[in-house]
Order: sequence, then C-alpha cells, then structure tokens
Amino acid sequence: MVSTAALSPVKSDSALLNAVRLVPGVVLLAAIGYAGKFLERFLNTYAKAHHWTFPNIEYVLWAILIGLAIANTVGVPKLFQAGIATYEFWLKLGIVLLGARFVLADVLKLGGISLALVVIEITLSLALMTFLGRMFKLKPKLTSLLAIGSSICGVSAIIAAKGAIDADDEDSSFAIAAILALGALALFTFPAIAHGLHMNDVSYGLWAGLGVDNTAEATAAGALYSDAAGKVAVLAKTARNAMIGFVVLAYAIYWAGRGQAEAVTNKAAFLWKKFPKFVLGFLLMSLLVGFHAFNKAQIGSLGNLSKWAFLLTFAGVGLRTNLRDMSKQGLRPFIVGALGEILIACLTLGLVVGANRIWGL
Amino acid sequence: MPTETSMNPSSSKVISLSLDTWVLIVAVVLALAVRFGILDNVPW
Repeated sequence: MVSTAALSPVKSDSALLNAVRLVPGVVLLAAIGYAGKFLERFLNTYAKAHHWTFPNIEYVLWAILIGLAIANTVGVPKLFQAGIATYEFWLKLGIVLLGARFVLADVLKLGGISLALVVIEITLSLALMTFLGRMFKLKPKLTSLLAIGSSICGVSAIIAAKGAIDADDEDSSFAIAAILALGALALFTFPAIAHGLHMNDVSYGLWAGLGVDNTAEATAAGALYSDAAGKVAVLAKTARNAMIGFVVLAYAIYWAGRGQAEAVTNKAAFLWKKFPKFVLGFLLMSLLVGFHAFNKAQIGSLGNLSKWAFLLTFAGVGLRTNLRDMSKQGLRPFIVGALGEILIACLTLGLVVGANRIWGL
Repeated sequence: MPTETSMNPSSSKVISLSLDTWVLIVAVVLALAVRFGILDNVPW
C-alpha cells in the first residue's frame, strides 16, 4: 500500500515531484520485466537453433528471478524504491484490464464456483490458523493477522486488518514477512506439484487463486503454469479479495467486544471502505465486453495491455522479496504460517479436485 | 487503506485519490484509448 501515498500528491507543486520520483523505479520494473520476456524468447530461439533440449522457462519466472537476484545481492537503491512500490498499482490495473478477456458467463460460472470454494477455504483457513497460533502460543493479535492474511489476500488484508483490530506494527511486520516468504515459496512449489499431478488449466488456476495468499504471487503462480491458468487464478483470487471486508469486520467486532479495538458503528460503511474497488472495474470490463463495446482486435489489445501491466508486477514481486529481512523476523510465526499454508494448500487442492468431480472444470 | 476521494484541505487545487481510484481512472483512459483507436493493435 506504499504506492497509495506515492500516488496521492499532497500539494500541487509536490505532485509533479512525486510523479517524477516514481519514474526510476517504474523504469527499473519495466526493464526487468522486459529482460525476462527477452530471455524467454532468446533462450528458446537459441536452444531451438542449436538443437538443445532446454525447458521453456516463462518470462514470469525470469522477471521474478532477476528481481530477486538484484534485491538480494546489490540491493535496491533508495532512488528506485518509490517506483517499485507501484507494483501493486500495475497488478490491480492488470486485473481490471484482464476483465476484458473474460466472457461474463465465464465470470459468473467460474466466479460462482470460486466464491463457493472461497467461503469454505476462508472458514477452514481461519479455524486452522487460529488453532496453530494458540498451539504455538503466538500473541493473539498476531494469530488474528496471520489467520486473516492466509485466508484472504495476504498483505492487503493484513494492512486492512491492522487498523481495524488495533494490532501493533511489530505483529503486522511479522505477519507480512511470513505471508511474503510463503508466497515466494508457493511460486515454485505450486506449479511443480500441479505438473506432477497433471492438473488442467482451470483446476490449477482455481487452486493457485485459492491457495496462494498474496494477489501478486497468486497471479504469478497461475501465469507460470499457463496463460489460461493465470486468468483463472486471477478470477479466483479476485473472488477471495472481495471477501476481505466481511472477515476484517468480524475480527474488528471480536476485538472490540474484548475492549481491545475501536467499536464499529456503521457496518455497511465499514464493509464499503474495506471492499477492494478495483474488483468493480474487473466486473465492469467483463460486462462491457459482454455488451460488445469492443471488437475482437480491441479485446486483444486490452488483454496485451493487461500482460504489460503484469510484467511490471512480476518484476516488483522479485525486487521486494528480501530474503535477509525475512530471516530476521523470527521463526515461530514463520513455522505457524508454513504449517498453516501447507495444510491450506492440501485442503484447497482437495476442494478443487472435489469441484472438478462435481462441476467438471 | 484510504478508499475515499477527498479534497485536501491544505490545497484547493489538488485531489488526493486512493490507489484503487487511480487504477480505475487509468483503466478507463486505456479502455477509451483502445475503443477509439488511439491505442491500436497493442503488441505483446
């Protein structure tokens, strides 16, 4: 959410300055993303020309790996940090534009299935993380943050909940670090497991959308498998994100009841405030395509714009993953998070397999 | 996570917007640009 501040100018003369400050980081995101795209194409062409057997490594993975390598070796100079923080802006923009690639009927069908699975996933995740947090004697509010982060949408949900349940900075840093570290691991484990299980694109996309916590990582994990899986992962994750208000509201009421957070006076206003508005943009885009507002070539253009936006996001995922910082955050929250995530991944895999049998995904 | 559009009291000229609002504005501008042929055949 750092990018909110970066994109919200305070004074007219500083607005331009703020915008200029974003440029170096955005250029770096674009350069890394494009380098990933170039590497994918170059290595494939080179391997083919020399009759080598070389696995097709997608631009998504290259962009993440280059970002990871920079962030964890030379580090990211301060000059670039404001622009890198815009990765979330590119992620949301990519999701909204991706709405053009969905026929409304697909959104309703897959979105309906996703919502049903999301409700089950959230209930199971919250119960599981709360149980693990108590078992490992974590602080109650840290347990709440981990439960919210792993059941809904990672970092955004933790930040949204932090204010609502009046958690301290240390707890939210712990929870965010654990969620980000586990998201980074999921990027590599989810596609590998799915290939081992020969999952189809829709099933895998649903699994990635339900099982990977942070939206950027869920999008990347889906795109790493295939373009179609990436689309479904975004849809499932968006359905999950839409539930953020309800879960945070429930926790806010719980902690207010214990006198440890401010009482929620207007629940409808609270829900609207926490609702991720970009989801409406995604739905609107899909609706416009349903009403033939765009022709086929224009839909293709919107889809490609979405891919360019995601390219910058994937570079940002690598650049903001600092392994040293994560290792400093302490082992217990990480163990609780890791145990929870493994169990949630198994549960969501079971849910998707079950849904596949019922609805034939 | 600020989500409301608000006029900044310190300056009448500048409107402070949330990230999601910026996303929606840019998405609308891009969609209009594609719809009216300003952005044509975007490559990948």
